[in-house]
Amino acid sequence: MEEVLYNILGAVVTFIVAFVVGMTYGGLTRKITARVQNRKGPPFYQNFIDAFKLASKKTAIHHGVMHLMGPAFLMVTSVMTLLIVPVLAGNNWFPNLNFHGDLIFLLYIMTFGPLGMALGAGQTGNPNSAIGVTRGLSQMVGFEIPWVMSLVALMIQYHTTSITGLMEVQAQSGTWLMLSSPFAFIAAVMAMFGMFRYSPFDIVGAPTELASGPVSENGGKFLFVMMSAGSVFTFAKLTLYVDLFMGGASNLVVLLIKTFLLYMIPVLYGVTSPRYRTEQAVRWFWGWPTFFGFLAIIQAVILK
Amino acid sequence: METYSIIFAIFLGGAVLTYFAGKLNSILQDILFLGSVLVPTYLFFSGVSFGSAMPFSLEGISLLWGIDHYSWLFALIVLGLGSLAAVYAIGYMKGKERKGYFYFNFILSVMSMLGIVVSQDLISFFIFWEIMTWSSYLMVIYNGKDIQRVGIKYFVFSAIGAYAMLMGIVIVHSITHTFFIEDMIQAYGHMSLQLQIWIPILFLIAFAVKAAMMPLHVWAPGAYSNAPMAYTSLFSGALSKMGVYGMVLILVTLVSRLPQGIWFREVLAWLGGITAAVGTLWAIKQDDAKKLLAYSSVAQLGYIITGVAIGTELGMLAGLFLAVMHALFKGTLFMAVGAIEKQTGTTNFTEITGLIRKMPWTFLASLMSIIALAGIPPLGGFVGKWMLYESLITSDHYLLVILIFFASTAGFLYCYKFLFGFFLGQEEKEWEHVKEAPATMVVPMILMSVFMFVLGTFPGIILKPINNGLMDLGFVDSYKHLWETSVIFNNWGDHVILQPILYSIIAIFLFFLILVVWKGYKGTRYVTTKDISTSGEVPKEDENLTFSVGFTQPFLRAVAPVMRRQIDKYYTEFAKGLEGLFEFMRRIYTGNAQTYALYVVVFVVIVLLFKDVLF
Repeated sequence: MEEVLYNILGAVVTFIVAFVVGMTYGGLTRKITARVQNRKGPPFYQNFIDAFKLASKKTAIHHGVMHLMGPAFLMVTSVMTLLIVPVLAGNNWFPNLNFHGDLIFLLYIMTFGPLGMALGAGQTGNPNSAIGVTRGLSQMVGFEIPWVMSLVALMIQYHTTSITGLMEVQAQSGTWLMLSSPFAFIAAVMAMFGMFRYSPFDIVGAPTELASGPVSENGGKFLFVMMSAGSVFTFAKLTLYVDLFMGGASNLVVLLIKTFLLYMIPVLYGVTSPRYRTEQAVRWFWGWPTFFGFLAIIQAVILK
Repeated sequence: METYSIIFAIFLGGAVLTYFAGKLNSILQDILFLGSVLVPTYLFFSGVSFGSAMPFSLEGISLLWGIDHYSWLFALIVLGLGSLAAVYAIGYMKGKERKGYFYFNFILSVMSMLGIVVSQDLISFFIFWEIMTWSSYLMVIYNGKDIQRVGIKYFVFSAIGAYAMLMGIVIVHSITHTFFIEDMIQAYGHMSLQLQIWIPILFLIAFAVKAAMMPLHVWAPGAYSNAPMAYTSLFSGALSKMGVYGMVLILVTLVSRLPQGIWFREVLAWLGGITAAVGTLWAIKQDDAKKLLAYSSVAQLGYIITGVAIGTELGMLAGLFLAVMHALFKGTLFMAVGAIEKQTGTTNFTEITGLIRKMPWTFLASLMSIIALAGIPPLGGFVGKWMLYESLITSDHYLLVILIFFASTAGFLYCYKFLFGFFLGQEEKEWEHVKEAPATMVVPMILMSVFMFVLGTFPGIILKPINNGLMDLGFVDSYKHLWETSVIFNNWGDHVILQPILYSIIAIFLFFLILVVWKGYKGTRYVTTKDISTSGEVPKEDENLTFSVGFTQPFLRAVAPVMRRQIDKYYTEFAKGLEGLFEFMRRIYTGNAQTYALYVVVFVVIVLLFKDVLF
C-alpha cells in the first residue's frame, strides 16, 4: 500500500515538473516567435496566466458525453507518456511506469489521446473540428513512418525495444546515440516537426482557416485541460528524445538544457516557414525523412 | 464418439426443420434456429474431449473426426461467434423476407466450419469446405442484388481455390493411398522435391482465397458487403479464419520441413503485409460502411497472415491472437452496421450523421471495437499488434514491420471515419426518429465488447488455449517466456505489464474527467450541434454543416499514385478476354444442325484433300 502511495506521489511530482516546464517552454516559444517577427510578445509566464484564467471559468454548455470526455482522453496520453519515459537517467526516485512498457507500447499510447479527443471534437458537430482531425490523422500517417523507421533502426542495432535498455546502451558505451546512429537521429528529428505541429506542419489547427481546428468548440476548463495536456506532452516527448538520442540527463538542469535545445529545432524552423497543405506535408515526410530512415535501418543492419 | 454424430445430426436436422417451420409459425422458427445453433455449441464444449477421434467408414473410404487443442481454438471462434451472431440474427431478421433461407444457410455455415476443424481426413475436410462455400455463396446472393458482379466473382474465386485443393488431395492420395491428414504429413518427407513444393502451393491457394489474401482478395469487398450483416459478422469473423486455420496447418506441418520453406514464409508474409497496406488504403476511400469494413477485414487478415507466416512462436501467438480479436471486433462492427441499417435503412456515411444520442449502446460497442481494431491500449487489439511488431522486429523483418506499421497507422483514418460518419457530427432532423436497436441485437455486441476489454488486460485467457494449440502443433511451451496472464514479452526479454497500465489509464481518465465536469455540472446545459462557433455567426436551423463528403480527401491525394493500380481491373480485363473467346466459340457452335452438317462435310473434304500429307 505504501509503495502504491509513493508511486502516486512520484507521478504527481513528475506531472507538476512537466506541467511547469512545458508551460514555460510554451511561453518562451511565444516570446521567441514574437521577437523573430519583430514584435514585443507576451511575457514568458503568459501561458500560466492563460491557464489559470481558463481553469477558473465556469462551464456553461456542453455537446454531449464524448465532448465531456475529450480532454480527459487527451490527458491520458500525455500523462501515460510522461510516466513511461524515464525523466532522469540513473535515478531511482520516481520510476513511475518506466519498466512497464516499451517503445512500441509508447507509440500506441501516444495515439490514444489524439483519437479520443478527436471523438470529442467530432461530437461538437463543428465542421472545422472534423476537418482538422482528418488533416491531423493524415499528417500523423506521414510523420510516423520516418519516426518508426528511426526507432526500428535503434531497436535492431541494440537488440532491445525498451527505452531504459537504450539508455543503458548509451551509458555503457559512453556515446550518445545521436552520434553513433546519426541517420536515425536525423529521421527522428525530421519526424519531430510533424509531432510538434509548428509551421510548416500546422495545418491541423490552422487558426486562420479552421478556427483552431479540433479544439475550436472547447473553452474554459476544457481548454485548460487540453492546454496542460499539450504542455505535459511536449515535455514528455522532448524527454523521450533526450533519453533515446542524447543519453538521458542525470539532473534536472541538464535535462532542461538538452530539451530546450531540441525544442528550438522545430520552433525556429517553424517561425520562418509558411504552411504546407496536408498532402504536401505527408509527401514531405515520405521524402527525405524516410530516406534517412532507410539509411538508419541499413546502418543498423550492417552494425548489428 | 456419439457426440459428433449428435452434434452434426442436430445441425442438419435443425437446418431443415427451421427452413420448413417458417411455413407454420415465425416464432417457432426463431426458437428452432436458436436451438439448432446453441444446443450443438453446448454439446460440443461439454461433451467433446481432446484426443478422442471418431473413425468411421463411408463408401469404403475411412474417415476420421477428432479434435486437438489447435482445432479447439478455431471451434471456439466459430461456435462462440456463431452463437452470438445467431442471437443477433433473430433481431436482425425480424420482419425480413426469406427467413427460412437465411436460417438454413446460417446453420449450414456454422456446421460446415465446425466440420472443417474436426476433420482429420482430407475427404471430409473438402466436403465441409464445399458446404461452407455453397452456403456462404447463397448468403451473398440473398439480397438478389449484383448476383452477376459479386456472387459470380465470389464463386469463381472459391472454385479456383477448391479445385486447387482437390488437385492437391488427389496427388496426395495417389502417393499415400489414404486420406488421413496424419498420413499426408508422414509421407510428405519422402516425396520428391517437386511435389514437396507443389502440394503446399495448391493447398495455400485454396486457403488464401478464403482468407482474402492479395491478389486473391477481389471477391471479398463485394461479398462481405452484399451478404446480410447478421451473416457477414460470421462471414468475416469466422469463415475467413478457416483460411488461416488451413494455412497454419500447412505451414507448420508441411512447409517447415522443407529447407526451401523459408521462401514460402517470406512470400506469404510479404503478401500479407501488402494485403494489409492496400486493404487499408481502399478502406479509407469507401463511403459505404459495409465496403469500408469489408476492405478493413481484408487488411486485418493481412496482419494475421503475416503473423502466422513469420512462423516464430511470437509470430504465431500474434497471428492467432489477432485472429480471435478480429472475430470479436469485426463481428461486432458488422453487427453495429446491421443495427444501423435496420434502424435507418442506409449504411452510407454521407447520408447518416449524429446517431450517438439515438443509439448509445451501438455507439459504445462500435467505439470499443474500433479501439481494439486500431490496436490502441488498453483493449485487446493492442496485445496482438504489439506481439506482431515484436515478432517482426526480433525475426529480422525490418521493412515489413514498416509496411505493417504504415497500414495500421493509416487505419486510424478509417477508424475515425467510421465513428464520425455514423455517430458524431451534426445531428440532422432526418434522423430524429431513429431509436436504439432491439435488445437481441445490442446484447451480443455489448458482450463482445466486454470480452475485448477483458482480453486487453488479461490476454492470458486466450493465449493459454492458443499456446496449447501451438504445443499440439509442435511448438515449445511459451508460458512465462512470451506471455503470462497479463504480461507480454518479446524474445529479447522486453515486456509490457498490462495491469498497472490499465489502472493508471483509468485513474488519470477519471481524475481529469471529474476535474472538467464535477464543479458546476448542474449549471451546464446541453446545446445542439447547431449551436457552435462559426466565426461569430449563428448557423440557422436548416443550414447544412454536415461534413462527410470527401472526408479523407487530403490523405487520398497524398497516396493517389499508389491507388491508381487495381488488381481487380486486370482480372476484369482477363474475364473480358475470356468472354471474347467464348463469344467466338459460340459463333462456331451455332446450334443449327445444318451448320454442323456443313462442318462435317468441310472436315471430310479437308481430310480427303490432304490425306497424303496427314497420313
